[in-house]
Amino acid sequence: MICCKECIDLLYDYIEGLLDQETSKSLEEHFEECPPCIAFLNTYKSTTTLCRDTLNQIEIPDEVRHTLQSFLKENKDQQEKK
Amino acid sequence: MSFTQQKVDKEIEEALVKDFQAGNLDAYDKIVELYQKRIYALSFNLMRNQMDAQDVAQEVLLTLFKKIHTFQGKSAFSSWVYRITLNSSYMKLRSKKKEPKISIDELLPSFNSTGFQQEKIQDWSENTESLLFTNETREIINKAVGLLPEKEKVVFLLRDVEGLSTEKVSEVLDLTIPAVKSRLHRARLFLRKKLSGYFEEYNSQKGET
Ligand SMILES: [Zn+2]
Repeated sequence: MICCKECIDLLYDYIEGLLDQETSKSLEEHFEECPPCIAFLNTYKSTTTLCRDTLNQIEIPDEVRHTLQSFLKENKDQQEKK
Repeated sequence: MSFTQQKVDKEIEEALVKDFQAGNLDAYDKIVELYQKRIYALSFNLMRNQMDAQDVAQEVLLTLFKKIHTFQGKSAFSSWVYRITLNSSYMKLRSKKKEPKISIDELLPSFNSTGFQQEKIQDWSENTESLLFTNETREIINKAVGLLPEKEKVVFLLRDVEGLSTEKVSEVLDLTIPAVKSRLHRARLFLRKKLSGYFEEYNSQKGET
């Protein structure tokens, strides 16, 4: 059986689907017998999802949108005068 | 997004860029519409400050306007926009803080001499659903991301938050693929560690009451 350290080292490639079948299988065998590594895997994956979902909620605030709009309009007007 | 949809979007975008390079200002407006949210979100996530992000967005949109003739299509247009956004954000950030370095060992579980884990690790991943949209969780996550060193943070934002491919991130940042991977892995480990502290405490409090 591969040890936990190897398992954690391979975690990134495992999640991204970059491991060959054999390595992937030996990793899964390890997971079956090792709750701490399963917990690590789950929380590692969860971290990515949580952060992505949270940071993706960012919208441009209305006042910023307005500022950008008038800034761009001004810039365009200047350009057209030239 | 499906592959064909991506391809169509890419063609539309290339046509817009060409039109704008030929002097069509409506094409510029459409480019702004397509990109301003991404520009704002990326710079906001880097700097955590609305005014700074607004300044950067303004600067980037102006740069697109003035420098479009220098874009030669060697890389994707989006990569070019992301690079300008990052440069502009870094100019703002540079004066502000010193960088702590993260050591990977602190982020990994502790192993014994044969490489097996010694401590119990709490699996909080099943309880995150109900926590996801509370203000407190959001704040913890924002804070954790804020603590990430710049090098790791930018890779994490482009790849995991913006959803760019590893290849695209390496193009935008001019990094090798292995460098992108190792920074991303470090970022995720760092954030996992920070979030673990929070969720473990949350779960143990819940267990007590
Ligand atoms: Zn293990």
